[in-house]
Amino acid sequence: MEELFGVSMDTIMIALLVVFLPVLAGIVFMAWRNPVMLKLGLRNIPRRKSQTVLIVVGIMISTLIMAAAFGTGDSISYSIRSNAVDSLGTIDEIIVSARATESDTIGSASYFPSQRYEQLKADLSGLDSIDGLAPSIGELVPTVNSRTSLSEGQMRIAGVDPNTLAGFGRFKLLNGQEVRLETLGPNDALINEEAAKELGAVPGDELVAFVAGSGVPFRVQGIVDSGGLAGRESTLLVRLDRAQEMFGREGLINSMAVSNLGGVFGGAEHSDEVTKALRVLFTDRAIAAELKTLLNRDEVLEQLTALMPTLEPKMADDLGMLSRGLAQSQMTDEFIGVLADEDAQEQVLRAASQTELSEVERQVGTLFAGLAEFRVLDIKKQVLDEADRVGSGVTSIFIVMGLFSIMVGVLLIFLIFVMLAAARRSEMGMARAVGAKRRHLVQMFIFEGTAYSVMSGAVGVALGLGASAVIVFVANRIFQGGGSGAPDSFTMAAHFEIRSAVVAYCLGMVITLGTVGVSAYRVSRLNIVAAVRGLPPPIHRSQTRFRDLLLAPLRSGVRPFLLAASGLRALASRDWVRGQALFLQAIWATVTAPINFFTGVIQVLWVPMSHGWLTVVAGGLFTWLGMASDQAAPLRIGVTLVIIGAGLTIKTAYHRTQLRPDVGDRIAYTFIGVVSLVFWVIPFSSMQTIFGEMEGGIEMFFISGVAMVTAAVWTVMYNADLLLKVLTFVTGPFGKLRPVLVTAVAYPMAAKFRTGLTLAMFALVIFTLIVMSILTEAFSAAVGDSDKVAGGWDIQATVNFNTPIDDMRQAIDDKPGLDNRDMTAIGGYTAIPVETRQVGAEEQRWQFYAVRAADDQFLLETGASLKLIANGYGDTPEDVWEALRQDSSLVVVDSLVVPSRDGFANDEIPFELEGVFYEDTEMEAIDIEVREPRTGQVIPLKVIGVLDRLSDAFGELGVGMIASRRGLDEAIPFKIPTTTYRFKAAEGTDITALSKDLESAFRENGMESDVLSDLVDDIAAANRAFNYLFTSFMGLGLLVGVAALGVVSLRAVVERRQQIGVLRAIGYRRRMVQLSFLTESSFIVLMGTALGVGLGTVISYNIVKEIQSDVETVRFAIPWLQIGVIVAIAYFFSLATTFLPARQASRIYPAEALRYE
Amino acid sequence: MPDSIIRATGVHKTYDTGTVKVNALRGVDLTVERGEMVAIMGPSGCGKTTMLNCLSGLDEIESGQVVIDGVVLHDLPDDERSDYRARRMGFVFQLYNLLPVLSAVENVELPLLVSGTSSTDARRMSMELLDMVGLSNRAQHLPGELSGGQRQRVTIARALVNQPSIVWADEPTGDLDSETAGEIMDLMCRLNVENSQSFVLVTHSIDVGNRAHRIVRMRDGAIVDDGNGQASGT
Repeated sequence: MEELFGVSMDTIMIALLVVFLPVLAGIVFMAWRNPVMLKLGLRNIPRRKSQTVLIVVGIMISTLIMAAAFGTGDSISYSIRSNAVDSLGTIDEIIVSARATESDTIGSASYFPSQRYEQLKADLSGLDSIDGLAPSIGELVPTVNSRTSLSEGQMRIAGVDPNTLAGFGRFKLLNGQEVRLETLGPNDALINEEAAKELGAVPGDELVAFVAGSGVPFRVQGIVDSGGLAGRESTLLVRLDRAQEMFGREGLINSMAVSNLGGVFGGAEHSDEVTKALRVLFTDRAIAAELKTLLNRDEVLEQLTALMPTLEPKMADDLGMLSRGLAQSQMTDEFIGVLADEDAQEQVLRAASQTELSEVERQVGTLFAGLAEFRVLDIKKQVLDEADRVGSGVTSIFIVMGLFSIMVGVLLIFLIFVMLAAARRSEMGMARAVGAKRRHLVQMFIFEGTAYSVMSGAVGVALGLGASAVIVFVANRIFQGGGSGAPDSFTMAAHFEIRSAVVAYCLGMVITLGTVGVSAYRVSRLNIVAAVRGLPPPIHRSQTRFRDLLLAPLRSGVRPFLLAASGLRALASRDWVRGQALFLQAIWATVTAPINFFTGVIQVLWVPMSHGWLTVVAGGLFTWLGMASDQAAPLRIGVTLVIIGAGLTIKTAYHRTQLRPDVGDRIAYTFIGVVSLVFWVIPFSSMQTIFGEMEGGIEMFFISGVAMVTAAVWTVMYNADLLLKVLTFVTGPFGKLRPVLVTAVAYPMAAKFRTGLTLAMFALVIFTLIVMSILTEAFSAAVGDSDKVAGGWDIQATVNFNTPIDDMRQAIDDKPGLDNRDMTAIGGYTAIPVETRQVGAEEQRWQFYAVRAADDQFLLETGASLKLIANGYGDTPEDVWEALRQDSSLVVVDSLVVPSRDGFANDEIPFELEGVFYEDTEMEAIDIEVREPRTGQVIPLKVIGVLDRLSDAFGELGVGMIASRRGLDEAIPFKIPTTTYRFKAAEGTDITALSKDLESAFRENGMESDVLSDLVDDIAAANRAFNYLFTSFMGLGLLVGVAALGVVSLRAVVERRQQIGVLRAIGYRRRMVQLSFLTESSFIVLMGTALGVGLGTVISYNIVKEIQSDVETVRFAIPWLQIGVIVAIAYFFSLATTFLPARQASRIYPAEALRYE
Repeated sequence: MPDSIIRATGVHKTYDTGTVKVNALRGVDLTVERGEMVAIMGPSGCGKTTMLNCLSGLDEIESGQVVIDGVVLHDLPDDERSDYRARRMGFVFQLYNLLPVLSAVENVELPLLVSGTSSTDARRMSMELLDMVGLSNRAQHLPGELSGGQRQRVTIARALVNQPSIVWADEPTGDLDSETAGEIMDLMCRLNVENSQSFVLVTHSIDVGNRAHRIVRMRDGAIVDDGNGQASGT
């Protein structure tokens, strides 16, 4: 994996090391200077082993999540790369014809004379980067093993010339022995491992390949390793001349494979150079000259220059060179290389489309289509780049999903240090009393925190990589189950890069040390007398003058220079020791300057913010920003700040009266909590009348969760006494339970900060798990609706392009064992890859898409539902399908090509319609143009409908705009055989048996048949399994919650030792003490769980309702069992963690406890 | 015939820290009559608090016997001993030892709730006790909001709320100024007289000792004078 969130991993690692290493060096330096503080800081670690373990577990979670995310990304990236390398072997580029011929068929590459290979070989003789060039034929045909009767519908017949294998390596049998292609007879063949597996074939078996309706027998002479010329998918290798004869293509080939210098792994490094050289060779210089003349205009050059800053550096360089080339009189090879690059062509067309020169743009498009004789596909480089892109995407998803847990982890680190500080308050007060400075206390905590961080970071990385291995294992199980969209042969291997481990470790350490630093600073500001005497901290009123506050940020910038100047003065007066000390201080002040500046600014703003009015102003600014940019996040944060500001203003006003301040606090904070909660709970769509349409992505889920939970926890914490009263009333009749409950609720409510943090942690984690569970349930149910997904069809079958069935009904009649009466309808279509653009749209580049050329029966019988119908084309899907039947210029497009307001991403199809959104309720018909890529023929079409997202399961069962094949048959000069059939079974027919019978009957046509409801179930199961995987990953946050509770309980036992003695003295039994601690934990866990479940359910309901407007079949349902399991797991582990401290508390002897100070 | 409520004979207690063994009580004998107020005095470390803890069942003893109102305390299982403390004993400590998270009235009613009194009765009785110690207007305050003397009054109210036969008080005035200490002693003496409850006080203060019916003097884990002219312990 090379990038994360678009930033190079190398850059991320260097940036983190630049931050982390100096910080670590600074800490080591401080430790060296202050060994006493180091000793004081570290001595607590071995003292309380169980507490140390819990702290390490709690702190490591951020590192663990990031290491797991990186590990998973690396594994995916590595797996795709190794699959690609295994699959392509030494092949780096493939050359195919860019010119169509009359004998072309859909589904196979155009043929060209094999003499072109000889010419090319001669032309390339001077290019050292290429070590192999092999002419070949590749065609897919159905093949049957006569011995086992097993068949492969899409067997690739590869015809290879034995004399051109230099650079590609010899074919090797599975036992490692080399096999020579020259020795193969006309009816001999080698097969690869995959083909042997599919056909159950062994050497000596007879295989029959079906070409143009007749069977061609081959004897298997050996099974060779997959990869390279032997292919990854099922492949049957024969001599080139035999393949030419077999397909009636004597003297012709349809592709050439190129091997670069550098073998299997290093070849891709030469890909740019080789591709460019090949493109220069294949370019028609006359057309290039025409293009040069056409493009050499100021308008085009200006647009090209304007585009450059928005592009990746390499593409920007290429366009720069192109622009310079346009201005020169001669055409250089470099200029032609860029002009022939398809990516550069896209940008040139984009630039041309920005000008007023539409005729130029059209001509340029046509010239580009005829510019090169051959297309060069740098296939290995593309796959390797794709591997990095997918790996980085997966890592980003896992990190985003882990954000809640990371946040909870940060809260825990903070909580731990606040509690450690509370425990050592008196000790720290003493230290201050005998002369320790504030910074000494900060250092003491930083030493301790660093020790924990170093340990937990290492443990977190190790466990995170272990977790990624588990994720890989589970993902492989899902891939094996089918329905995931991954190729059958794709398996993932656990893998991680050292760089990722370093980044995860450094990120974890930076987060931890940052939190430790903030908490240590907070801790150091104790009141010495109150700390020594164990009194509550006095209310702090800042004595700092406002002017000093204002100057503090400025001072942080100037201080290093002042210190350095003083140091220089000291050196000048030969006071070496003082000079040295001042310089060290100057360095330290420089390192800490950003922190000091930030702290200074916060201090300046803190007072007016806490009084409320500045918070209202800040909130107003954010709200305005959100409204101006139509972004939901700043708007909602802004409104929340306004609410908080209003609450704080109420509090400030109340404190100016003579009334009790705690009542004012309650009113203010309850106001903030309740109003914020209401604001976040109300579905945002219902606020659109005020704020208009807003955009928001996945970050809104995170922000909503944090805001809702904070608001709810705030409200609960400031009104918990009411809860206590209810509990007291309810437990009145339960005798000895009451005193237990009284203390169990009173203690956590007295420590509002600590309890609030723990409660928030639990609520956040449970919240995410509940949302994931409910949404998984809703989507699985929707995707699992097979009638809706499959449009009422029962079976889908594909046949090989080379062995089509002309008349399916007739063919069924001809097959014994099949009965046409078992099928009430049979429809078929062929997916043809095309290039598409929208007439009059801003984007005028041709984009890849597909047309499903459907027969009349398909259009008549399909029940696929539509999301949008163009005005004037009826009210029902049936009207639209009928219109398509009547008028072959009309099409219905997939939902994937229609943009969505909710940011639903579609990366699969480059083409996208403009002027319509999936959420719209009506649309006008849209004119588009479709171009057949090889002939360049343009066909005008009109979009009159958009398929529902669920149709064909988000494209899993088939992609392409649907049109009547009649019009396409006329417009495209090739024969378009039907390759995909759909069947509706008659009432009472065994669909599974029918599917098997069809497959077996049409084996020679390479038929592969599936029951659609099974496919839909597989897809739903794979979706569900992935969601469970994600839910489990997010569940890692529970570890933090449980660890937090453990730490809180352990601390409570120590802090309340004397009070436990009193309780025992006044008659509490041991079990009552134990029960009191367990009830206290239960109270936090159950309250957190209740908040998480409640808020998670509410937000899920809102999300489902929003989605329902797009995908009707999504239904809100609460998965009680799953929620029950989540709650039970959370509760069980929390109780298990608090059991030991509770037991420890109950075992304390009263007299011993009373003696404790 | 005198009616003894506490009868301790030959009580031994040793603290073993692993490296050092300390003989805290060396076979002490002590008898306290019903309604009697006894003060235990002696230098620091002589075993006063240890004796109070052992006699009240808060701590275990190695040998000897403690009989409270006819019950051999150390023969009782821990749960029953806890119940016995809840019903029959009250405790006052030098540092008050109120639960900081509960209000004054909640602190006072806790022993009642433990012994199974209904919440309504518990609240009523607690308020009566707080009234008796002069703190009914501070009932809803947390201990942190009360002065030292007020906290000790709350502690006394808590010790007396379940109408115990014996009140154990460990340095009840040790953390108070002399005026407040005098008030607290007045209160305890008044309650002792009014309710005929036995008080065992551990104190350094001669003033407090003088207010008791009898002073028991200890040294090095032994009673050198039980106030009746007897000594016990080796």
